[in-house]
Amino acid sequence: MRMVTIDPITRLEGHGRISIFLDDKGDVDNAILQVPELRGFERFVKGRRAEDMPQITSRICGVCPVAHHFASTKALDAAFHVDPPSAAKKLRELMYMGYLIYDHTLHFYYLGGPDFIVGPDAPSMKRNILGVIEKTGLEVGREVIKHRAYGQKITAILGGKATHPVCGVPGGVSKGLNKDEVKDIKNMVDSCLKFAQFTLRLFDEIILQNKKYVDLILNDSYTLKTYNMGLVDEKNRVNFYDGEIRVTDQKGDERLKFKAEDYYKNIAEHVEEWSYVKFPYLRAVGWKGLQDGGNSGVYRVGSLGRLNASEGMATPLADKEYKRFYETLGGKPVNSTLAYHWARVIELLYAAERAKELINDPEITSSKIKEPVGEPGEGIGVVEAARGTLIHHYKLDKKGLIEQANLIVATTNNAGAINMSIRNAAKSVIKKGHVDDSLLNMVEMAFRAYDPCFACATHTLPGGMPLEVNIYDHQKQLYMRLKQNL
Amino acid sequence: MRTIIVGVGNRILGDDAVGVHVVNELKKHVNHPDVTIEEASTGGLNLVDLILGYDKAIIIDALKTEEEVEGEVKRITLDELSYIHSCNLHDSSFIEAVKIVEMIDKQLIPKEIIIIGVIVKKQPCEFKEGLSSKISASVLEAVRMTLVELNSVNPIQKNI
Repeated sequence: MRMVTIDPITRLEGHGRISIFLDDKGDVDNAILQVPELRGFERFVKGRRAEDMPQITSRICGVCPVAHHFASTKALDAAFHVDPPSAAKKLRELMYMGYLIYDHTLHFYYLGGPDFIVGPDAPSMKRNILGVIEKTGLEVGREVIKHRAYGQKITAILGGKATHPVCGVPGGVSKGLNKDEVKDIKNMVDSCLKFAQFTLRLFDEIILQNKKYVDLILNDSYTLKTYNMGLVDEKNRVNFYDGEIRVTDQKGDERLKFKAEDYYKNIAEHVEEWSYVKFPYLRAVGWKGLQDGGNSGVYRVGSLGRLNASEGMATPLADKEYKRFYETLGGKPVNSTLAYHWARVIELLYAAERAKELINDPEITSSKIKEPVGEPGEGIGVVEAARGTLIHHYKLDKKGLIEQANLIVATTNNAGAINMSIRNAAKSVIKKGHVDDSLLNMVEMAFRAYDPCFACATHTLPGGMPLEVNIYDHQKQLYMRLKQNL
Repeated sequence: MRTIIVGVGNRILGDDAVGVHVVNELKKHVNHPDVTIEEASTGGLNLVDLILGYDKAIIIDALKTEEEVEGEVKRITLDELSYIHSCNLHDSSFIEAVKIVEMIDKQLIPKEIIIIGVIVKKQPCEFKEGLSSKISASVLEAVRMTLVELNSVNPIQKNI
């Protein structure tokens, strides 16, 4: 067996590594992604005041502090047996929409989108936001920067701080909105809505009107038939802040629907000795290894997972786009990994529309934003982080201190699928020992679509994603090395 | 001359937080209306957002390199910068973020951006508060170097 190793993070950390194993014919037998994990979280939080958890968990990573903040706050609502007032829930959700606006904008224009907007064949040094601005013009660049900042600002107004919010408390929020703030947010939200529509038009013009790109999206190497998971409202429409977890199968039919507190009855975690990350799978289906299909419990979360796991969007414009998405890509479910990008832009539109609904709701300025908490106990909170379903589970002692904490984060939910996508991409470009030059690019596109967030991947080289490929023969002797941005 | 000093790091990730410890110490020595001191557990675009509109920015962070000695404090300009704790898979790198803003409106970027880096050899991957003894011993040197840097434009602070 030969081994190909891709090191996607940095030579400085020496972590985050893709290894591709070849069989004796030189074809891809298997591929694995190894990512580091921040250790000792459970020990770190044990004995701390439960009320501090929304702040502490928002520091787990610099990427999705708002998602952690609210998964944590919701877990505390449950643990303290308190149902926040309706206005508090709306304020939380509005803030969450601000987070989605900046997060999805960032991914589409800066990270994942450049693969398409600049082009999958473009040199890697061009496939970034600077290349996007070069292609679409400075004016588009200005709009991108402006609206990402608007998302941040909405989050900051509601959260107290943009990156590490302090507003969520068990039973509600600590801060309401005044009239000036409402006016400010209204203006920004209106602008974000237009920007989201513009982004969908751009997606249409540059990507959907180009047959080559559509063929790439529908390419077999980027197709995975797993189960799909996401939070839905009472009408099975996508919801980021609240609802039940719904799982659909390979035909798009409902397989499971359960409340957050039943997550451990439905989700199990498989341990592989080569990986720090555990592989979640559907308990009812079982672990059959890293494979797709109805017999394997592997599922996908994130934008594509959410759309597949639902029956529509709860806002009119996004719902129209939802329907067009499935009409264009051949019906439901869509199993094309690269369709994550389009799904993300549809969600950007939803976030702007939903934010508009919320900021125009008269209740948003209500001063009834917190309920008194009850006795401490056990609580589970779930939200849809930009990257997928995020679960926080705490057990509190009688004094309200943390006894036990368990977190399942979005990228972990996608761990099985990301591995398979990397393997499939590698299969398409490594044949009989011949490694195609596009290997780095194909593999990078495969896992970039998921917008993965590896907790430790905070230190990296500038200018693009560093990749290293080490190719070993069947005796594990190195015979080729490919590098990018290193 | 408006200057911003940003201590970058995650307060609950051991030596990663050295920049935060440095600015906490700096606050005892600096009191000037033209000087802003911030803490940031972020990089890339969010970090660039923080420094926009200032004349000078001093960023203090943990740096991981192969060559230097652990605990050494380095002064680096943006041109020399090859890597910094300011980027992850879901963000632009710091340099890329600076370049984008430069394309849109060059006036917004500080004329001078200096990085004061404390060299760490091991990627902090375990949640804990407080610094290791080696890195803790470097805090005062980083404070001293930051004050020298600051005094070149706001010569009111006391060097230590």
